Amino acid sequence: MSKRTIIPFGPQHPVLPEPVHLDLVIEDERVVEAIPSIGYIHRGLEKLVEKREFTEMVYVIERICGICSFGHGWGYCKSVEGNMGIVVPDRAEFLRTIWHELSRIHSHLLWLGLLADGFGFESLFMHSWRLRETVLDIFEKTTGGRVIFSVCKLGGVRKDIDADGLKEIVRLLAGMKAELKELTDVFLDDYSVKNRLVGVGVLSRDEAAELCTVGPMARASGLRQDIRMDGHGAYAKLNFEPAVETDGDCHARCKVRVRELFQSIDLITQCAESMPDGELSVPVKGSPSGEFVARMEQPRGEAYYYSIGNGSKFLERMRVRTPTNMNIPAMVKTLQGCDLADVPMLILTVDPCISCTER
Amino acid sequence: MAILKIGKMVMGSLFKKPATLMYPVVPRKWQERTRGHIDIAIEDCILCGICARKCPTNAITVAKETKSWTIRRMQCIQCSCCVEVCPKKCLDNKNEYTTPSTEKLVDSFEKPAAEAAPAGELRAAPDGAAASAGAATPAPVPADGTLKCGDTCIYCGICAKKCPQEALTVSRKKKNAQTGEQEGENIWSVDAENCILCGICVEVCPKKSLAIE
Repeated sequence: MSKRTIIPFGPQHPVLPEPVHLDLVIEDERVVEAIPSIGYIHRGLEKLVEKREFTEMVYVIERICGICSFGHGWGYCKSVEGNMGIVVPDRAEFLRTIWHELSRIHSHLLWLGLLADGFGFESLFMHSWRLRETVLDIFEKTTGGRVIFSVCKLGGVRKDIDADGLKEIVRLLAGMKAELKELTDVFLDDYSVKNRLVGVGVLSRDEAAELCTVGPMARASGLRQDIRMDGHGAYAKLNFEPAVETDGDCHARCKVRVRELFQSIDLITQCAESMPDGELSVPVKGSPSGEFVARMEQPRGEAYYYSIGNGSKFLERMRVRTPTNMNIPAMVKTLQGCDLADVPMLILTVDPCISCTER
Repeated sequence: MAILKIGKMVMGSLFKKPATLMYPVVPRKWQERTRGHIDIAIEDCILCGICARKCPTNAITVAKETKSWTIRRMQCIQCSCCVEVCPKKCLDNKNEYTTPSTEKLVDSFEKPAAEAAPAGELRAAPDGAAASAGAATPAPVPADGTLKCGDTCIYCGICAKKCPQEALTVSRKKKNAQTGEQEGENIWSVDAENCILCGICVEVCPKKSLAIE
């Protein structure tokens, strides 16, 4: 019987873009148990909602996270719009979908880069982030911000993308697709990459369901679960099938995200082709007085937005449940019994966003 | 095969421009919509303070006494909320980011003294007496016209609710539940001293009864 030791992992660690702490109980280079602790970047958003008018709160909610900021803004708007019975014009829904899918590409490319950096493949990391720059440029051109857009507002969107702009986006993404294929082939077929990912951190379908995983983590374990299937935004009018893999290991999670990259490009092309004409937004009158739950498929999985109004300009209560929050139990589960050297891979393949988790 | 692939990439990279920009030697290109920093055309500002109230990060302070508009640059998140709510449209989001600094930048703008006379005229005035007389005029005195209500008014009170200065008073007749008689009077009045002619009431009036004449 060898001696047990505890290795503190984080909050500052090269593989962690954001602060989370894990106590790894080690026995012979093998992790017996992982105890996570969070609370490094809690910002008290749910309290702030009592002091900011519900129309201004969009700006705050968007800043929960720098990667899926658009999705957060949309989720909040969807929740309050549902609360007030506002029907958003079609064009606004299509534009929102385009920006949301662009966010997904941007998020997944960022994640691929971090993963490559995690297993020490520096040039792959650089190439992923180089491609991501194309998407960030599209964002700056269409919204005015590179990561925080402030284009989603209650009742619609603030800015329009004209026909030429849409053509340009489709052209840029089509050009990106060839380069992306070359890049993702390395992630999926390269011998060294496979060596680090295949068979590592297997989460079976039953375990994934039992631990309530969401997003790519659940889909990699064979659960066909994607909130976009319920047809919010423009998704009902788009041809779309969620990317599901069955292996449940790190490689499968990587594969799901790679497939989603191409799927997002396809969805944006479909949106651009069938973009309806019409208003960008409808005026918002009155204050919310009911309660409403909205769900969104963020790049990392299902996010949940609950709002309850009291007829005043300030919401009574607002709750955001983010995907990483739901995936932490699964992460802890996969960490049990793994090699110490695989810990970074297992943490990264969850795609943890601690800013989202702590809000 | 691998050598061919690598060779192709090396040859390509030799003749390709770098993916990164030689910043700051090569200046950054701003997009038309880039949100860089908030700018104010202070002579058009009526110091109504809506921007300060709506700012999600409380980065703006409007002081009526000193007629100044102050923005804490480090606190500003460039969300453009103030630009959107400004009734006079004197705020604008400019492309360039503020220069990096080790101190927390605070920019303060002071409104030119005379409100009644156009600023250009005042500066051109040769004798100091005229200028000081202009400066002594209280700021909220309407520069161009007064707010008037037409006869289509239904005394709904929306204008009063939206007025940032609380300068409007509106009340209407009410039916007494017991006697069934109309009580009170239909009143619409404006406190000319407080009215800043921001035009919000004119915009929100459902009957389009209000006008600045």
